[in-house]
Formats: sequence, C-alpha cells, structure tokens
Amino acid sequence: MKKPDVKVVLLGDMNVGKTSLLHRYTERKFKDTISTVGGAFFLKQWGPYNISIWDTAGREQFHGLGSMYCRGASAVILTYDVTNWQSLAELEERFLSLTDTANHDCIYALVGNKADLTDLKAQLPLDLSGASPASLSGTGLHKQVPREEAMALYERILRYKGLDEKSSLPAEKMCFETSAKTGYNVDTLFETLFDLVLPSILRKRNENLVSPTVDLEEYREASARRGKTCC
Amino acid sequence: MSVKAFELVPAVERELLMGEKARINIECIECCGKHLYVGTNDCIIHHFLLEEVTSSKGKLSYLAQKLLHKYLGLKKPVAELRAASALERLIVLCDGVVFLVDMVTLETVPSAAGGGAKIRNVTGFCINENPVNGDPFCVEMGVLTSKRRTVQIYMIYEDRVQLVKEVSTPEQPCALSLDGYFLCLALATQYMILNYNTGSFQDLFPYNSEERRPIVKRIGREEFLLAAPGGLGMFANAEGVSQRAPVNWSERVICAAVCFPYVVALDESFITIHSMLDQQLKQTLSFRDGHILQDFEGKMILASTKAVYVLVPLPLERQIQDLLAGQRVEEALTLTEGAQRNIPKDRFQILHKRILQQVGFIQFGQLQFSEAREHFRKGQLDVRELISLYPLLLPASSSFTRCHPPLHEFADLNQLAQGDQEKVLHCKKFLIRYLEEVRSTEVVNGCREDVDTALLKLYAEQHHESLMELLTSDNSCLLADKLPAICCSSVHLLCLGKIENCQDLLLERATLHGKLEEHDKALQILVHELKDFQSAESFCLWASSCQDSTYRQKLFHLLLSVYLDGNHCGRSNAGGSGGEYDMAAVDLLNRHGEVFDAAQVLRILPESWSLQLLCPFLNRAVRASMHACRMSQIGLGLAHSENLQLLHDRLEERKKNIVVSEKKGCHLCHNTFSQPDVVCLPGPVPVHAHCVARRVRDSPTKRLLANSSNHT
Ligand SMILES: Nc1nc2c(ncn2[C@@H]2O[C@H](COP(=O)(O)OP(=O)(O)OP(=O)(O)O)[C@@H](O)[C@H]2O)c(=O)[nH]1
Ligand SMILES: [Mg+2]
Repeated sequence: MKKPDVKVVLLGDMNVGKTSLLHRYTERKFKDTISTVGGAFFLKQWGPYNISIWDTAGREQFHGLGSMYCRGASAVILTYDVTNWQSLAELEERFLSLTDTANHDCIYALVGNKADLTDLKAQLPLDLSGASPASLSGTGLHKQVPREEAMALYERILRYKGLDEKSSLPAEKMCFETSAKTGYNVDTLFETLFDLVLPSILRKRNENLVSPTVDLEEYREASARRGKTCC
Repeated sequence: MSVKAFELVPAVERELLMGEKARINIECIECCGKHLYVGTNDCIIHHFLLEEVTSSKGKLSYLAQKLLHKYLGLKKPVAELRAASALERLIVLCDGVVFLVDMVTLETVPSAAGGGAKIRNVTGFCINENPVNGDPFCVEMGVLTSKRRTVQIYMIYEDRVQLVKEVSTPEQPCALSLDGYFLCLALATQYMILNYNTGSFQDLFPYNSEERRPIVKRIGREEFLLAAPGGLGMFANAEGVSQRAPVNWSERVICAAVCFPYVVALDESFITIHSMLDQQLKQTLSFRDGHILQDFEGKMILASTKAVYVLVPLPLERQIQDLLAGQRVEEALTLTEGAQRNIPKDRFQILHKRILQQVGFIQFGQLQFSEAREHFRKGQLDVRELISLYPLLLPASSSFTRCHPPLHEFADLNQLAQGDQEKVLHCKKFLIRYLEEVRSTEVVNGCREDVDTALLKLYAEQHHESLMELLTSDNSCLLADKLPAICCSSVHLLCLGKIENCQDLLLERATLHGKLEEHDKALQILVHELKDFQSAESFCLWASSCQDSTYRQKLFHLLLSVYLDGNHCGRSNAGGSGGEYDMAAVDLLNRHGEVFDAAQVLRILPESWSLQLLCPFLNRAVRASMHACRMSQIGLGLAHSENLQLLHDRLEERKKNIVVSEKKGCHLCHNTFSQPDVVCLPGPVPVHAHCVARRVRDSPTKRLLANSSNHT
C-alpha cells in the first residue's frame, strides 16, 4: 500500500453529492451512487506526491467516525447542496466540530454542489462555456443558498478556528460552486486545493528529513517473536 | 461478486470433544504449532495434536488426535486460554482467576514452582504481541478487572507474575488489545487508544458497548480493527488515524481477524470475507452457531459451540485466475498487487507480468484497446502472442509457440470477432498501432523479423500509406516469406506501381516481379534492359532457393529461352549484338549443366552450334545421368544384402533352445513362470505373454497414437 503524503477529507450532509464529486474528479463521469456506508478513500497521484481523498458518509449513523477521518487532514472540503439551505446549516451545526482533529494549518473549502440545477452556466463544464445557452434546459429549482451565505460561513469558520482573517486564504478563493453532474468547477476545486496543500506536504517531508528515526520497535518485535516460537 | 478465497475444513469433530453430552459448549481455543487447546464450559481443558494431511488430489484435511483432557476443578467455564510457549505454560482465565498450567501435563503450576500469584477478579485479558520488554521469556499481559475504570499491565516471568502498571480510564473498559505501549480499549460508550507509558490518549469514535459487543482486534503493528456503528469494521492505527477504508459487516458480527488481504468476520450464522484492498465482500460461508474466530500465527481457527474448524486460504494464484475467468480484471490486479508484500520479489514479478498480460488479453477481447495496450506494455508481453492471434501474420520461419498455460482463451481473431468484420478491422488497426509502437523497443529483441514482417503484411493488406516507409527504412522484413497470396501481391503491386516508370530502379522492379512469380518479366528486364547476365543467373538461383529441383529446372530453361529469343530478336533488330546472348546461353549451359534436362536442351538449341562449344555441358550432362544410374544400382544391391542378413538371423534364432522353469523369472515383471504360455523376445528373452501384451499396450508410441486419436 502506497503511503499517502497528505489527506483531504470531504465532509457534508448525506445526499449533497460528495461521492459524486469524487467520482467526477477521479473517473470523469457522473454515475449512480448509493448512500456511502462508513467511508471510502481514493489515492491521487499529484506529481511526485500521493494524496488520499476521503469520502465520508453523511448519514447520521456514521457521524461519530468523522473526527477520526479528519485527524491529520491537510484540507477539508465542506460540501452542501445549493438547492438545500439546511445542508449549509448542518455544516456549521454538525460537521464543523469534527474538524477539530485536523491539522492546525488545515485548509477549508466551502463547496455548493448541484449548481447545474440553479445556474445556467453550471450546466456546462467550465471549459466548454462557449456553447449556446439556448440548448440548455431551464433551471427548474430555486437556488436556496447564495454564494454570499457560504462566504459568510467561511469567515465564521476562520473565527471559530482562531485564524487571522488577513493571513488566511480569502473567502472569495475558497468558496466554490460545482456540479458533479456536468463537471462544472470540479477540477478547479480539487486542483486548487492540491496546489494549496503542497506546502504542507513539503513541510512534512522536511520534518522527516530533519529527524531521521531508527525504528527500534520493529526490531524488538521481530526478536521477541523469534524467542516465543521456539517450541 | 464472489471469489473462493477460503475453504472451511473440519479439525475437531463434536464426537471427539464431548461425545453425546448435550450441554457441553466450547468456550475458548488456543493453537500453538500443532497443539490445539480447547476450553469448555464444564471447566475442562482438552489438548489435541492437529496434523495437516494433504490427499493425493491436493485436498487438505486435518487429523486431530486427543492427547489429554484435564478438569480444573472450579465448576466454571474455562473463559480464556493463551499459550506462553516460551514458558511452556498456558495462561488460563476461569472463574475470574488467571493462573498458569503446564502446556504438556495441564497441571496447575504451583506458586512455589514459579506459578506465581493468581490474579483475581479478572474479567478479561490480552497478550501483547509486540512486547516492550526485550526478554523473550517474559509475557506481557493487559488485564481488565472488576476494579472500576482501570487497566492493569502484568509481566509474567518464569518465576513470578508482576504488576507493572495500573492506568485509569475515563469509563469502564470492556474489551482490550495491546501493541507495544498502546492499549486499544472499548469503553462503555467509545473506543480509545491509550499509551500506558506516557499516559497520552486518543479518542477514536463513539460506540455503545452495551448495545453491541465491541471488537478490539490487533491486526498488525500498531493497527487495530474495531466494530463500529452500523455494522462497520473500522481500522485505526496507534495515532488514531484510519489508513484503510472500513468494511461493511453485518450488525451481529462477534469476532473478526485479518488474513491478508482479507478481513474475516464471524456472526452466528455466517463467515464473511471482505478484501482490505477494495472493501468488497468476496465470499460468504454459512456457519452455524458461530462462536469463536481467531488467528494463530496466520492460521485461522473457528469454533462453533460444538466443534473446531480451520479456515484454509486457497492459493493466491488460483484466486487470481478465478477472478480472471470471471473477467474481473480490476479485482484480479488489485489482489495481485496487494500480494506483493507476501510473495518473494522474483516470484511476484513473474506472477505480476503474467496477470498483466492476461488482463490485457481480456480487455483486447472486449476491444478496450487503450487499456489492453497499457497492460501489454506493463506486462512486457511477447508481441508474438498477440500477432499469433491474427492468422498467417507470423512468418512461416518463425519459431514462436504460444506460452503455456495460455494467456487467453481465443484460438484466433476470427473466433474472437465471431464473424464481425468490423471487429476484425478494429483489431487489425490496433495491432498496426501497437506494432509501430513496439518495433523499435527492446520488447521485440529476438523477434524483430516476426514483428516487422507482420507489420508489413498488415500494411499491405490495409493498403496503408506507411508501407513504403517501412520497406525503405531500416527493417527486418522477411520478403521471402510465403506471404499469403493477397498480401504478397498487394505489397509488390503497390511497390511496383510506385516505381514503374523509374529507370533507376530496374533491379528493384525485377526483384518485385520475381516476388510476384512473374519470372519471365523479371528475366526480361535483367537480360534485355540491364544486360546483367550474372544477376539473371543469380535470380534463378534465388527465386528457386526454397523450391524443388523441377522448379529450378523450369527457371533455368526459361532463362535459356530468354537468351535464345534475345539472340533471335537481336539479329533482326539491332544486328551484331546477338552474339552476346549466344555466349550467355553457352556459359549458362556449361556452368549449370546438371540443372538442365539435356534431351530437352538439345532439342531447342540452334542447329548451327558446334559440339565443341557445348562440350563441357554435354560432358556434365552425360556424367550426371551415369551417376544417377549407378547410384540407384548401388542402393538396390545394399537393400538386397540387408534382406539376406535378416533372413539369416531369423533362421539362427529359430534353432536355439530356451529353458523355462518355475525358477526362472520374466524379464518384464520379474515374477516367475507358473504356466507354459511363454513368449520369447529376441535375445532370447523369455517373458509372460500378458506382460508383452501390456507392454505393447503401454508403449510410448502406442500411447501417443491413443492420445492423438482422442484429440481428433
Ligand atoms: N443534479 C445534480 N445531482 C447531483 C449532483 N451531485 C450529486 N447529485 C445527486 O445527488 C444524490 C446524492 O449524491 P451522492 O454523491 O451519493 O451524495 P453523498 O453526499 O455522497 O451522500 P452520502 O454518501 O449519503 O453522504 C444522487 O442522486 C446524485 O445523483 C449534481 O452536481 N447535480
Ligand atoms: Mg456518498
């Protein structure tokens, strides 16, 4: 098993589209999902680095596992559904506390998914936006969460975490609206994050270089086992 | 989505353990090498010797031999058993008391003899499999007692039992596991990791231990497997981090263990097997009254309430092949790659390559060409395996045979495509691209000719624009190969078309005509346009090099007639140059007299030619026919004398007597003769009639025949 250099965690209520976002990014397609049980992760090769992306379960039943998934995370993607105001509220009420176990310099991103349901421009993937909007279907659903709401939450998160607003990444940059269905903004989201966590990877590598450790435990276990099985 | 990863093999049957007694139940087991200990609820420890037996068919079974059983005298169930093999003791938990018994006699070790003080009020204990104390004769133990909210750490030495640490916990602990200094605990409402050396701790996740029995299982260095809400099996390391995704069990799982790369879990009616590599459920075995599942030095042992079983993993290669047979390429690859750390490096590499190639062929069969290409490349496929799927692409001279066991199930492309010509075309285009890609790499070392020739044939057949490029660049094409008529002519026609009007390429044109078997056109060019008689002769030799002598004769006669016709035309048109062709014809006859049919030659030669001129030719022709005649007479004579010799030998044999008695033995079976029906082999060697019969039946040639007739 390749050991990941860094961890990114997707958090958010059930049904907001965390699994779909990960599928879109890793497999480049939108497929049927079933509500995630427990959690799953995907290993992404990013240049010379391995990034593990954890897809967590939004269901209440698995809520308790969240802290463990977030332990040591370098980035957390807090996901909500732009057509569902409650899903944004849940982030603040239920999910934010799970991130206490994340790294101190953890990066937070707020992601409003299913933008294809509310925004014309999200009905096409970002890089194809030249196509005529006439061919697009109407946007049936009412957008319940304006981006400003998410940006406001982002600022509150910085305050909860005791982070200085000036030296932290700006809300403008860290609040995304995406569509796993069309692919809108999905690559941008992940790739922006990866670029931002790179310094954290480098720092971790350097730490390991500075204090090279000889693993005495390993040796001890081996010798003890030998001793025990001499019967 | 199942794969057969394990097989359940009975180890100790109910009869051997408890006979007909209905109320006896198995409470705990311990296995140490071949020694199996079983603790029952009637306070007895049973000791068995467990032998592994492999049948001639390779089927594994276990033979249990009962050595001893011992009543401990407490009237309570034997709750836990752990071997401390270095100390030759068993650590026993019974009636809340931990004490030691001798591994062989099962006698309680008295305190005076190093039995140590008993530990009382114990509700559970675990052994540290990654001990912190370097002494191999010391066993470390984590103990839960009825004392509230504490865990105790004991060291058991040969001569004493010592309490080394007592740590308090925020809630009542109810299950534990120990690795190094790390205690992994199930508390009433959550799991936690506690370092008993530093006192630091880490909450893992909430769990209601009253509602469902928690599982805390050490599965490797500083890694634990825990039962989580919703019937999950969660992994956690000593830092409190999950490095693997959880597996999805049933809610009622009671025990779990890891046999890499599988997580095995037991509930009251099933054994479920998940892969740690992709978290999928791979196998389910029904198992009634499931009670205990534990791994002992890699051996998975299970117990129902009445009997003991071993869960035997099937060979990895077989599992992988099963997956491939079901076209489950991803899983097969994951399993192969996951096995890397369990297989020696060189063996792994061979296995990995082969699986990559097989996966490539499966994807090729599904026309997933880019995936197939990637796997062929990674698996360093011998390209000829792929080429050989396409009928007639490999040159006849190729020494290639497909590897065994085969990498795929296809006989050839036609079978694969099942008559779908579009498919065939796609496959051909793929092969062209693939060959272009590999032909300049080292993968084709040793088979460059096969590869280039196959590519040439494909180009020709597809009228591909790269044909000329291939032919005019550095290549290893075998042009002499008997190309299938269509490819062959189209290659050459194509080339011819390109150079038809090019005077500089006359020699090439001649060669191409030759390849199209248009020999007279070729010779016309060589003789009349190039006037290169030497080459014309060489052409005849070359073009007939792989043919029989009549073919060669035909060519030489053709050349002769071209010369003679030239002579004729020369005289009528250009005048004077006729002599040139005459000389060429004479030279030809004199140099290659033995090839010609002398009688036929004499018939067509101009009347005017002198005998003198043709003397060498005629000499040779006469000598050749004399030689042939004499050789056949000698052959006849030799055969005749051999016949006589054989006849003589036979008569000699008939004259001899041989004595057969009851004391003499048959040379074939080495048994004595009991009846007068004896066969005499040359020698003379007397043998049983039935022995000869059998030998004839079993002789290799006979067998060969029998086999081949089976196949047809
Ligand atoms: N229109 C639209 N539907 C989406 C989008 N992303 C996800 N969905 C749908 O939303 C539903 C839930 O998606 P999932 O990806 O399974 O949600 P999740 O967040 O992983 O849910 P849990 O695993 O239960 O936590 C599915 O029916 C998806 O098809 C999107 O961008 N646009
Ligand atoms: Mg999900």
